[in-house]
Amino acid sequence: MFKKNYTLYFCVTILSDVENIIYAVEMLTYNKIEKIGIPRAISYYTNYPFYHGFFTTLGVEVVLSDKTTSKIIKDGNKYLVSDTCLPIKVFVGHVVNLLEKGITNIFIPSIQSTGYKVNNCSKIRGLPEIIRNVIDKPFNMIEPTLDKTENAGFYDFWYQTAESLGITDKKLINKAIDAGWEAYDNFKAMTESGISYGTALNNAINGVFEKKNVQIVRPISVVIMAHGYNLFDERISLNLIKKLEKMDIKVYTSLDVSRENSINSLLAIGETQYWANELDLTGAAAYYMLNKKVDGIIALSAFGCGPDSLMIDEIDYHAKNIGMPMLHLNIDEHTGEAGFVTRIEAFADMLFRKKRKNLELNNPVKKTIDEPVIEKVLVSSLSKE
Amino acid sequence: MDKEKEKKLNKKRFAQREHSIKTKDRVVAWPRMGNIDLSMGALVSSLGAKIVMPPQNTNKALEIGVKNSIEGICLPYKLNLANYIMALENGANTLMMFQAPGSCRFGNYTKMAQKTLKKMGYKFDMIVFDMYQSKMKQTLEAFWHVTRCINPYRYYKGFSTGFNKAFAIDTAERLLFYTRPREINKGEAERCYKKWYEIIRDTTSVRDCKKLKKQVIEDFKKIPIDEDKIVPKVYLLGEFFVLLDPFTNQEIEKTLGDLGVEVQRQIFFSDWLEHVLQPSIFYKKESHRERCVRYAKDYMKRAIGGECLETVGDTVYAAKNNIDGIIHIMPFSCMPEIVAQNILPKVSRNENIPILELVLDEQTGKAGNITRIEAFVDLVMRKKLRRENDKIQK
Repeated sequence: MFKKNYTLYFCVTILSDVENIIYAVEMLTYNKIEKIGIPRAISYYTNYPFYHGFFTTLGVEVVLSDKTTSKIIKDGNKYLVSDTCLPIKVFVGHVVNLLEKGITNIFIPSIQSTGYKVNNCSKIRGLPEIIRNVIDKPFNMIEPTLDKTENAGFYDFWYQTAESLGITDKKLINKAIDAGWEAYDNFKAMTESGISYGTALNNAINGVFEKKNVQIVRPISVVIMAHGYNLFDERISLNLIKKLEKMDIKVYTSLDVSRENSINSLLAIGETQYWANELDLTGAAAYYMLNKKVDGIIALSAFGCGPDSLMIDEIDYHAKNIGMPMLHLNIDEHTGEAGFVTRIEAFADMLFRKKRKNLELNNPVKKTIDEPVIEKVLVSSLSKE
Repeated sequence: MDKEKEKKLNKKRFAQREHSIKTKDRVVAWPRMGNIDLSMGALVSSLGAKIVMPPQNTNKALEIGVKNSIEGICLPYKLNLANYIMALENGANTLMMFQAPGSCRFGNYTKMAQKTLKKMGYKFDMIVFDMYQSKMKQTLEAFWHVTRCINPYRYYKGFSTGFNKAFAIDTAERLLFYTRPREINKGEAERCYKKWYEIIRDTTSVRDCKKLKKQVIEDFKKIPIDEDKIVPKVYLLGEFFVLLDPFTNQEIEKTLGDLGVEVQRQIFFSDWLEHVLQPSIFYKKESHRERCVRYAKDYMKRAIGGECLETVGDTVYAAKNNIDGIIHIMPFSCMPEIVAQNILPKVSRNENIPILELVLDEQTGKAGNITRIEAFVDLVMRKKLRRENDKIQK
């Protein structure tokens, strides 16, 4: 009697729970993605610590594409229309590189807006659309959307990502997001203390935290306003930072400024944020312009970049008012290194001369009085005749 | 920026300029875009403000624009800036402009233009209305700010005549595209259009304006046409301003019409007005944008600003509705259209529809473009003839 009852009870529970059981069986058979490829372009350069922290905590292995080479740029060129800007061509090249490595799951986020009415460039917003239509090979694209204007917030973005990876455990995802933030905050704190980009990135990934207390002092300092993906890519920027440091110039970038400072200084010069990546350029430049910590501004932008053309014009307007020299460098896939170097050298020479002149004006050296008097007399006598 | 902050800024925007220029002294001007001045003129003049019309876009205007703007900016901005400058020199002191944040560089136009014009030493007041949310309220507010008109009948009159004029002129244009390749006496359709343009511009009463559309249709029907002629149909797609402005697109519709091609344009000013100013509850049919989202589904999953989604969606729609070819025009370095340009080759391959890309710039030569258009028309024509032959043989 007891036995019968027990079996009946068992049957009933199973029947009522059919849906859950089917789901459990599905989840067992569902292949969790174990490897994810991240192209070394666009959002990699500023957000990679976060990506790394997030994916490793989820238990997904991250595979990066190779560093940018001429071959990668050529590959990207092959697939796209000639009007497209260089960073996008490089991005496509990196995706091709990942596919050649045999990785079929590639992380291509579409970052539409990072705040209310703060939108990104159309090409970055449409990255997954471009890749989907341009590359014919079969592969799985993980394409979450971040759009704060249309209420697709930060957490939704990461839930989408995890869901397409086959992970639905919310606690784990929240833990992963926290790990991501930790890595990112460490990275930002390290760069703000003056550690160079490469070492800070390595440290953040390996979980090391160190701060630099001693600052290198150089006679001249310069702020470079450029997107991370242009500046820190050694092939695209043609090693601009190292070249400037060889000329004894201290370089500041947007990573040296905290987010609050850059927003505040942007408001202080009377501008508002319109582009999502704007703080990389105008924020950093405005901060150092108000500080008067630097002697000049170098703007580095890709040819045909829409947002940059506006932002550089904005800063140019304010720099002229203050009287700060500014150099605008344009890059594309054909940029010759020789011409690039000549322009930087000329700019550096100009800065040095200006600095020297200013120093002489502020601390005038006493000269002998006789010589200039004689000169004046000579000149006046000549003119009379 | 937060929503609350935005609201505060919006409130301030009108408050700051209250005492800048007296309402009596206001002379209003706005940049040119196709036939926008017909309806804008009707609205502003019925509210009782003086108007200064900037002269037609010409090479001279373009020169002024290029001289005063930065190198990397797109062509529409250069023409807009030239319009502002020419209007200000003719005595205007209030500039009106709408903007849509989040689309592309377009959201930054007014900000930049204000800065440039102030640097040049002009004194003016610029009224900007955002086309993001609550558009009707924004526009009403802006017009109230300019004219301080309280009489609701004048608003009714202005909007009614403005809308009807836009509908009438766009109908005339549509009929012109249909009649031009088929007409028996060359130039008759063009003359008819020009006649109606003047009539539409000069009518002022509400009742007359409501009749305009019917009269236009009746008049175009009188033109003798050759109905048996084989006429290939071509869609004209691309960026909004370039499509609507005949100077910028080098009168591409006329060139195509004279070559014996029927042009169909999906973007018209009146359609856009209807869509933008109406609250979404009152939409009667599927709007153009919704249709594009539906058709572009295989190629694009999200909107990316500008007219990229419309271009791709319309291309697919055209291929499924027996259109023979597509001409895609855009200004140089237009960001959303470059994305569209990257997507279109795949659409062309999959849907089997020929596409011609034309990039327009201040330095584009007309002759080079005409050669390309002629070659494209030949290709489309041959394809069309072959299809007709196949039909007959079957």
